[in-house]
Amino acid sequence: MYQGIGASAGIGIGRVMLVTEKSLDYTPVRVKNISDEVARYKNALKEFCAETQVKADKIAQSLGEKEAEILQGHILMIQDPYMNGEIEKLITGGECAEKAVETICDMFIDMFSAADDELTKQRATDVADIKKSIVSILLGVQQVDISTAPPNTIIVVGDLTPSMTAGINRDNIVGIVTQVGGKASHSAILARALEIPAVLSVPCATQKLTDGMSVIVDGTSGEVIPQPKIEQVEEYTRRKLSYLAEKKALERYIGMPTVTADNIKVELVGNIGKPQDAPRILECDGEGVGLFRTEFLFMDNAEMPTEDEQFDAYKRVALTMKDKPVIIRTLDIGGDKEIPYMGLDKEDNPFLGFRAVRFCLQRSDIYKIQLRALLRASAFGNVKIMIPLVTCVEEVRAVKALVAECKAELDAENRKYNSNVQVGVMMETSAATMIADLLAKEADFFSIGTNDLTGYTMAVDRGNPRVAYLYSAFNPAVLRSIQHIIKCGLEQNIMVGMCGEAAADPMLIPLLISFGLSEYSVSATAVLATRKQISRWSKQQADEIANKALSMTTEAEVVAYLKTVVD
Amino acid sequence: MVSKKLTVSNAQGLHMRPAGLFANAMGKYKSDVFLNVKGNDVNGKSLMNIIAACIKCGTEIEIRCTGEDEADALAKAVELIESGLGE
Repeated sequence: MYQGIGASAGIGIGRVMLVTEKSLDYTPVRVKNISDEVARYKNALKEFCAETQVKADKIAQSLGEKEAEILQGHILMIQDPYMNGEIEKLITGGECAEKAVETICDMFIDMFSAADDELTKQRATDVADIKKSIVSILLGVQQVDISTAPPNTIIVVGDLTPSMTAGINRDNIVGIVTQVGGKASHSAILARALEIPAVLSVPCATQKLTDGMSVIVDGTSGEVIPQPKIEQVEEYTRRKLSYLAEKKALERYIGMPTVTADNIKVELVGNIGKPQDAPRILECDGEGVGLFRTEFLFMDNAEMPTEDEQFDAYKRVALTMKDKPVIIRTLDIGGDKEIPYMGLDKEDNPFLGFRAVRFCLQRSDIYKIQLRALLRASAFGNVKIMIPLVTCVEEVRAVKALVAECKAELDAENRKYNSNVQVGVMMETSAATMIADLLAKEADFFSIGTNDLTGYTMAVDRGNPRVAYLYSAFNPAVLRSIQHIIKCGLEQNIMVGMCGEAAADPMLIPLLISFGLSEYSVSATAVLATRKQISRWSKQQADEIANKALSMTTEAEVVAYLKTVVD
Repeated sequence: MVSKKLTVSNAQGLHMRPAGLFANAMGKYKSDVFLNVKGNDVNGKSLMNIIAACIKCGTEIEIRCTGEDEADALAKAVELIESGLGE
């Protein structure tokens, strides 16, 4: 059994299709018929552009325009007249097309890699991709085509690249195993979007798993079982069926209101990271968007996104969700994330450093572009603005002042926006918890970000395995913080939501009902399960559970107790 | 030969998309187009060379056009750079 990261839930049982890169070795020859060789190169170039365009179109359809742009860039690069001229010059001088392409591509790879600029360095990998594709075409080497995979195929690959994803047929591919990538990687997001069970980061997967080998992939636990015994296949077939049955059972909650057992209505919305995730929230019956992370616009982009680009992205979500609420969190980045063009320095303590609203307020030139785009999008739906990492009242006031400035500019330009657009606070620091009563007077709403709130409250880095045991929302310190934030919000009559993973946790849900949480924002796939969990408890039952849990002194006691309650 | 000095002012600098836009537009002219960046001449019709030159926001460049339609080429180049290349 191999252990990896379970990145897309469900169980796949099938045979391995190993996707490895074929060798591109060749013996360079001196060319005699130069015009034939130039024609051979030009044909390969044409084929490359046509193939790449087809892939880009497929990706634009399945994943979105932004992802497709990378591949479109490859076409632009290879059509460069100078580069083509140099390649043809070498061929005219007697080099074979393979050698000519390789020489010129390598020249640019060296040039780009040597640049003192992260963006330019990244372009070197694009040129390497282009080189590989064109040399493959010239040599007539067919790279493995995933689209021809037979039914019950488990794809095993080093990393799932955008050009590969275009070929995935979800009827035939029942599992994905990769050697690299985490839960938030491109491969993971894609696998979840396609609802294909996936286990990522399995060391040496492409060596241990061989073509045609029978294998079980458990995307929930992150296990990969090579050559399973008959009993294991039976066991996992059972689990797979029960997983699918459970999924099916949840379908009866589709279209139902989200209410407690005694009919108290709450809002159940979804978290998204990209505009193209929004339709998925509706498919899963979410009632809006409780957290739209905007970092993707900045992280996936080689350059600062313009106001119009941002506006398009926000507007797209607003329109998709019609009149349903869409809470958009403004830029939440800092020194731990590499965004070359932002010019952020590496910091010793990035989580306590120059990030999120702190960065935005000092770089109001960047922030105002985002706020203007958000305001403009507010004319197209129920858009709300959320400020991350707030620690003091001044920050909320400063953001609101910038919003007012942007509104005045838009007025002067005669552009439309919702003048009552709400500005809320993401509650995720101990400081914000302590002054929740003061913040509630400034903010239009609260949303509790349990992931960071747990991290900051417990002063723990969950990525550090030696202290990760402290990372639990069931610590009395975190539970009391959540209770306090909700109480302060309700006293000022503002909406209080929760947008961390904890909002979907069956053990936490009775406590949240008792505290009076009014909005639960969860991942799309968790919407129906959360609705079911909320429907289990009346306010009175929830109060009893909460009273008992909060009377306990340790995390272990709380968890042990809640387990007995939930099961 | 006609030339003009100016400063790249779009936030992204001459990177992928803006550079592609510029090189493509320049490719339509018969004249040679060169960008002089910190003493080095860069082929203004070549996206790859423009990328390699890492021309960031705030960089001063000199655009030089030579050929029968040099005045039009220069006017277009200046217009593109000053307009912020689609940003």
